[in-house]
Amino acid sequence: MRGRPNLYTSYAADQALMPTVTKKVALAVFLILAALAPIASSIPLYPDFLGHNDWMKLLSHVAIFGIGALGINLLTGVAGQVSLGHAFFMGLGAYVAVVFGAPPGDLWGLGLPMWIWLPMAGIIPAAVGLLVGPAAVRVRGLYLAFATLGLVFIGEWAWRNLKFVTGGAFAGRKFPEFQWRVWKEEKPVADFASDGVWLGFEISEEAKVYLLMLGFLVVATLVAKNLQRTRTGRAFQAIRDRDIAAEVMGVNEFRCKLTAFGISSAFAGVAGALFASFVGRQIPETWDLFLSVEFIAIILIGGAGTVSGALMGTAFVIILPRLVQDFTEWLSGVIESGEGTLATVADAVVSVAPDDGGFINTIPGVGPGLSVFQLNQVLFGLLIILFMIFEPLGLYGIWLRVRNYWKGWPFTY
Amino acid sequence: MKIRIKWLAMVMAVALTAAACGGDEPADEAPATTAAPATTAAPATTAAPATTAAPEEPEMEEEPAPEEMMIATDIGVDLDAGVIKVGMLSDLTGAFGGLVGLVVAGANAYWADVNAHGGIHGLTVELEYRDTVYSVDNHVQFYEELKDEVVAFGHSTGSPHTVAIREDLEEDGILAIPLTWYSGWSDPALNANLLSHGTPYCIEAMNMVGYLHDLAVADGVDSPTLAVASFPGDYGLDSAEGAKLAAAALGIEVVYDGSGTIIPGQDNAPIGNAIAQSGADIVWVTANFQTLTEVYGAADAQGFEARWSGAAPVWSQALVGPDSPIKDGIARDFYGSIYFSPIIENNPGTEFLRELMAEYAPEVPLIDYVVEGFVEAMILHEALNIAYENGDLTQGGVLAAAKSIEEIDFNGLAPSESYVGSANERLQRQIWITRPDPEALAAGTSPTGIKVAERAYTHPIAADYVFEEACYKLS
Repeated sequence: MRGRPNLYTSYAADQALMPTVTKKVALAVFLILAALAPIASSIPLYPDFLGHNDWMKLLSHVAIFGIGALGINLLTGVAGQVSLGHAFFMGLGAYVAVVFGAPPGDLWGLGLPMWIWLPMAGIIPAAVGLLVGPAAVRVRGLYLAFATLGLVFIGEWAWRNLKFVTGGAFAGRKFPEFQWRVWKEEKPVADFASDGVWLGFEISEEAKVYLLMLGFLVVATLVAKNLQRTRTGRAFQAIRDRDIAAEVMGVNEFRCKLTAFGISSAFAGVAGALFASFVGRQIPETWDLFLSVEFIAIILIGGAGTVSGALMGTAFVIILPRLVQDFTEWLSGVIESGEGTLATVADAVVSVAPDDGGFINTIPGVGPGLSVFQLNQVLFGLLIILFMIFEPLGLYGIWLRVRNYWKGWPFTY
Repeated sequence: MKIRIKWLAMVMAVALTAAACGGDEPADEAPATTAAPATTAAPATTAAPATTAAPEEPEMEEEPAPEEMMIATDIGVDLDAGVIKVGMLSDLTGAFGGLVGLVVAGANAYWADVNAHGGIHGLTVELEYRDTVYSVDNHVQFYEELKDEVVAFGHSTGSPHTVAIREDLEEDGILAIPLTWYSGWSDPALNANLLSHGTPYCIEAMNMVGYLHDLAVADGVDSPTLAVASFPGDYGLDSAEGAKLAAAALGIEVVYDGSGTIIPGQDNAPIGNAIAQSGADIVWVTANFQTLTEVYGAADAQGFEARWSGAAPVWSQALVGPDSPIKDGIARDFYGSIYFSPIIENNPGTEFLRELMAEYAPEVPLIDYVVEGFVEAMILHEALNIAYENGDLTQGGVLAAAKSIEEIDFNGLAPSESYVGSANERLQRQIWITRPDPEALAAGTSPTGIKVAERAYTHPIAADYVFEEACYKLS
């Protein structure tokens, strides 16, 4: 009987983080491959481009937003509390980090090391989340969405006006770099903000930051995954599925919702701090409603309620614009390269000259058609609608079906 | 619990081992992204524009014939394909999308014409656009994406955005032309890899406040007073600081200071009411035309009359268009400024621009920001020509060439620029002063709805200003 898939003979096995050997091996392989991305060009068959600095940045962006997505997934996907306030908590985390981490100067800054500013970027948003939570958790569904929407507007006002912290609207300020210091010594113990040599490999700043972000994402994923296995995590799901039934079973609804709010805010705060430092400089306008909507889109596309879905959604939403950009460039190249059916089709889609009729405009400032950014916006909108109608489980649902197909292969009927 | 600790311990161990096993000294060799310059025989040369005083040619033992000239290249230049790639970090659909769209249309037309006439000595210039949507993180991401593809950045939209990539530009040795008129670009600590142009917001405000002060005094007002209101950020606050510096120098009392208080989307009418109550003789507003309409409308409703002015981006022909509720008041009270020659002017530069726009982008309205597209393209054109003549079309070669430009003449399109000498010598101080002209707008003879009052104007306050640091510092 041992080793049969989906057969668990103990509660511990049923609740294990990695219940099967296949999962353990797959995760280990994935992590090893992910960690090797910076030296992609030295590994046969490994996609070369992933090791380029711009892709290192893109993947770091995915890792950071992945942490944020895990947070909103806990609140919205697992506990069922629709929140549009994620951008507020990300902004709060970023500004807590800058106050603790930036050197003293014209603007507030204590110049403390990363091991202080990063945890504080989680702790203080969590505390604020717990503080404003009682008001928010009294309402549910759409009303909660509107209540949390108010947080974003309050945040926008605050970030614009707290100039001594944020640098002011449309100006912003510099954020602390990824440098690991014991205290305030000049030379950091580990410097992720400049090129160097690790384990004999020349490694760029971008690759170092990527590895650091990957590490943080792994930790955050373990925390989120574990949380879902705990009593609290199961209580979140019970409330999501039917709050009255959960209360009947003895779940303290108020406390659980508040906990979800606090934990989600902590994730958002850490993600905000990492994102601001990753970019290096941020203006208050970054933490706007669109950012919150982006996170809702991430979990809707990825599949609400699952850790894998949140991470898949993040990768999809962050990388899609780049793929659309590259695809448009490739189509332009096809048109320029000459005749053929593909060139004719590409010519109908992409506009490469002012009098072209394609609906994707590659010549900004001239003629009609959508820019690549506008096309991405349209695609996001369409994808959200399509996923909600045809695949409510999101990318995770598609993955499940693919997995089940191969699990049952060749008897996949 | 044991499992969790094991996992965490593994992750931390890997991270710490990796960090501890290596130093952080830069690699001995050049970064992997920067290929060693290749030297290739360049294609046959074509004529370069004769508008510029280029630096002297470096001494050579024997000057090779043009077709045999050896050109060093690294990133963004493919001599075999005959292509030079230039990055454009543009806000096409964000807060300044309308304005930047015109700049881009001008740049496209200019380079289309250059390419049609042989490009840079036979090399075609291709513009690689990325829409930053006025987001700093998009800006940084797109910079990272393009820096390994392009020889230089033809423009970089937004001051905080350009500041965010400044250190990277210096580390990577790439040139960028900021598409903002922030006074900080004159600071040698900031501009090592930047090629700013045009009069900064701060100096523009000094000129206009000085000009309006002189008009008021000529009208018999003994001690004119000033009201200031602006957007927050580098644009609004740099400009507001300039107005206040001019006021201090001229002994003008600032009776209302609303620096940084105008916010798009909020109710800005109270600012107009406060300006009206202040009774100022001169009002300086740095915002956009929509918010100016709100502020001016509120003040006008109280019967307030003064000389109003604002930074160049505040002006739009919509202010005096048939649907504008304040067109009569604006036509009476407003004095505009602009950093370059308006398109309605007749000079060789504007005639050339009108000709090219008619040929390459006839559907684009001839709004004055098209000029900016030409100006920045002409600066880069000159830098590329010098780099070619120096035999060095690497990213570093183009940067060095740009920084060696002694004088670039825009044929009347804009005041000439220089990139050698001290910050004060290079600082641009000239502006064009305009007045609203609703009749010309209605007749179609002035698409921007203006007429020119002063050309290449510099008030003594601006002329005597000694630049030490940005009027408004971005922290």
